[in-house]
Amino acid sequence: MTVSEASVLTPRRSPLAQSSLAQTWAMSKRSVLALWRQPSLVVPSLIFPLFFAALGTSSFSRATSLPGFPEVDSYLDFALAGAVAQGVLFGSTVGATALATDIENGFFDRLLSSPSTRSGIIVGRMAGGMVFGGAQTLFFILVLLPFGLSIKGGAVGVLAMAVGGTILALAVGALMAAMAIKTGSSEAVQGAFPLLFIGLFFSSAFFPRETMSGIYGSLADINPISHLVEGFRDLTIEGLSASAVIRAILIPAGLSVLTVALALRTLRSRLGAR
Amino acid sequence: MSTANLPIVAEGLQRYVGSGDDQVKAVDGVDLRIEQGEVFGFLGPNGAGKSTTVRMLTTLLRPTGGSARVAGFDVVDEANEVRRNIGVALQDAAIDPLMTGAELLKLQAVLYGLPKAQHSTKAGELLERVGLTAAGDRRVGTYSGGMRRRLDLALSLIHEPSVLFLDEPTTGLDPMSRISLWEEIRRLNNDGTTVLLTTQYLEEADQLAERIAIIDNGVIVRKGRPAELKAEVGSPTLFVSVDASVTDGAKVLLEGFGDLRPSAEGTLGVGLDDGPAAVSNVVRTLDEAGIAVKNLELREPSLDDVFAEATGYRLEGADT
Amino acid sequence: MTALDDTRPELSKNPQRNAATTRVWPASVGLMRRSLVNIVRLPSAFIPSIMMPIFQAIAFSGTFFAIIQIPGFPTDRSINWFLPLGVVMGSGFAGIGIGFATIRDLEGGFYDRLRLTPAPRTSLVTGPLFAALVRSAIVTSIVFVVGSLFGARLTHGPLGLVPLFIAGLGIAAIGTGWGLGLAYRFRDMRAAAIMQLTFFLLIFLTEAQTPLFIMEGWLEGVTRINPFNNVIRLSRLGFLDAPMTWDNTWGGLLALFVFAGGTLLFARRGLAKLSDV
Repeated sequence: MTVSEASVLTPRRSPLAQSSLAQTWAMSKRSVLALWRQPSLVVPSLIFPLFFAALGTSSFSRATSLPGFPEVDSYLDFALAGAVAQGVLFGSTVGATALATDIENGFFDRLLSSPSTRSGIIVGRMAGGMVFGGAQTLFFILVLLPFGLSIKGGAVGVLAMAVGGTILALAVGALMAAMAIKTGSSEAVQGAFPLLFIGLFFSSAFFPRETMSGIYGSLADINPISHLVEGFRDLTIEGLSASAVIRAILIPAGLSVLTVALALRTLRSRLGAR
Repeated sequence: MSTANLPIVAEGLQRYVGSGDDQVKAVDGVDLRIEQGEVFGFLGPNGAGKSTTVRMLTTLLRPTGGSARVAGFDVVDEANEVRRNIGVALQDAAIDPLMTGAELLKLQAVLYGLPKAQHSTKAGELLERVGLTAAGDRRVGTYSGGMRRRLDLALSLIHEPSVLFLDEPTTGLDPMSRISLWEEIRRLNNDGTTVLLTTQYLEEADQLAERIAIIDNGVIVRKGRPAELKAEVGSPTLFVSVDASVTDGAKVLLEGFGDLRPSAEGTLGVGLDDGPAAVSNVVRTLDEAGIAVKNLELREPSLDDVFAEATGYRLEGADT
Repeated sequence: MTALDDTRPELSKNPQRNAATTRVWPASVGLMRRSLVNIVRLPSAFIPSIMMPIFQAIAFSGTFFAIIQIPGFPTDRSINWFLPLGVVMGSGFAGIGIGFATIRDLEGGFYDRLRLTPAPRTSLVTGPLFAALVRSAIVTSIVFVVGSLFGARLTHGPLGLVPLFIAGLGIAAIGTGWGLGLAYRFRDMRAAAIMQLTFFLLIFLTEAQTPLFIMEGWLEGVTRINPFNNVIRLSRLGFLDAPMTWDNTWGGLLALFVFAGGTLLFARRGLAKLSDV
């Protein structure tokens, strides 16, 4: 806190670009440290996805023989991609809740009156979440390996998934930041968290699209989360392919562009409303 | 004589926090006897144990040791009887921003067990009394700081308490609102309500309180009528500003006229043993030593001096 | 009390003084109304809490649509299997939401105001509890209506709603007790994380997703000994092909009773300890 406050209060001496870079860096460090110092907020997003993967492996092992399921050794291999997506979605609320708290206690207004660029503030706030998103991906893989997980895509596949996880954290983090800026209430951000679940469930994160029916299946078809999860999943159960890597990385990148733009727009209207 | 009929009595009240080497004695043996119908000022620097004491007297916090009776009831064993007879306006406690002023007053009436028929009339009366009739149906979130403070007071009066605790009732208020709140406190007091007032404005205590107590480091360090306490300080204080480079020299010279007293940064304070007549001697002595005086101010003893002498520091924004 | 009055003549000037006693029921109703007003006036938190269980019922039955094809599955409609789970989750969060609101009150100091009143301490727990029960009843009704539009059917007629509502109300009570108790102990948002984590565990270490006979491995053992599984079974009684019998019912009622009693006691004791910190 002291690091970023000090830099925020320092009068502008350098050209805007340089100063805003330093601001973003300070904000990033603050947000990474904030995550580190609040294990009670971070730990659930590490435990829940593993829990659901374990739950699914025990609940749905007999479902993998149903028509429409891909050829897998166990439901666990199938579940990894969903666990990563779920973990990153979970983790992204932490940064946004912190942002809402900043708004509640007035720190955010002080930040806005500083010479930082708006996008610097948003991206800086999300940096902790991004680092965490990449780390989560690796953590899930490492923890599940001894339980029989196998990654057909090898080391490159793992790397691609970590990059995808990092960018996905930005995409979702910025969406939740928009929510935080709009409501300014940390409780509302926590309350919006189930909405992420909906995005996750109307996708192929937990079951193959091929087993779904009707409108539900069509919604999963057009849900970008389906396609990025399937990119991750193909890297796990099929092996390295250009198509899988592209889906795992480019889809979250495209989403990030949209959600960061949304967060900036929300920020502008918040500033304009006063 | 028996203390049973005093509105507030505390004997050896203690509150320790933590244990072992980390134990902090937030309140360490406070004795208070507050008379019926009195306005009592309770002063102290932040963290001195002021609000901890008030929280114990109002049943929010269990004492570690000692005992206290408020409105004739024990604060631990008869907590609910205490609650029924006291009103408390808490500066720090947020008022639910999503409720309206009238809704909060009615809820308060329910929680104090007032007959249902009285809820609306009572709420209306109190809103009028504190000048919030027009704002009664607005959510508290839209109120200004002064309006919240007045609603706070109204909430504490719903059950016509015989003892009223006011925790920094005018902090952050503009001078006009402060004076009107003072008038309201006097009016309540004239109606027979005993008031314990904590404040950081010494002028407020001087204006309202018949007696005051100053708490520091969990212990009461001064207690009495403001006039008596001021008389105890005795000599007036002379404040001298000199160049920073000669401060040490000036200090030595000033000590010849009396004890040094706490003062603002860049200023020296000395209690003149010989009274105001010594001022000319001070100036001459400094002049002869080649020390240029930038500013000179003589102050009769005030509560500020009492406070400074008792605690070793002056309150920020202290009234002179 | 009269004896004490004799020793304090000055305090007895006003004959009304000391006379009123606050009773548990009106105080609880007053506090319930306050909780409900606060829920409804914060729509950004309220609307998701209604929508989430609906979406959950629909999402689970859509995502896991295929599991009804597993031979021996107790119903041929996946919405029938997952609608009661939505009610269970929604009711649990109706209770836990009370915990969230109480953390906010504790942090802001409004809770001090409530504790300063002579309202019976029990009413500080039962007031919010009533609010959670009302909210659970609303959530259960909405989830049932929407679930029916998505194809859910009561296989044994309207009587099947009774166990669903009982399960919902009971879980709301458990959530309230647990939420309040943790709020009183931690007094900050750490409690919220623990509430959510533990409640998820309680609900999902059961037949929440698949029936016992389909499970393989560790979950089967855990579910067999988890008493809360009886509550999940209770909520589904009216929606499965198996007949509704007392044998299938009493275990769930007992589990609800024990869990709700235990957590509400936990809350009540936590409230008493608030004046120690």
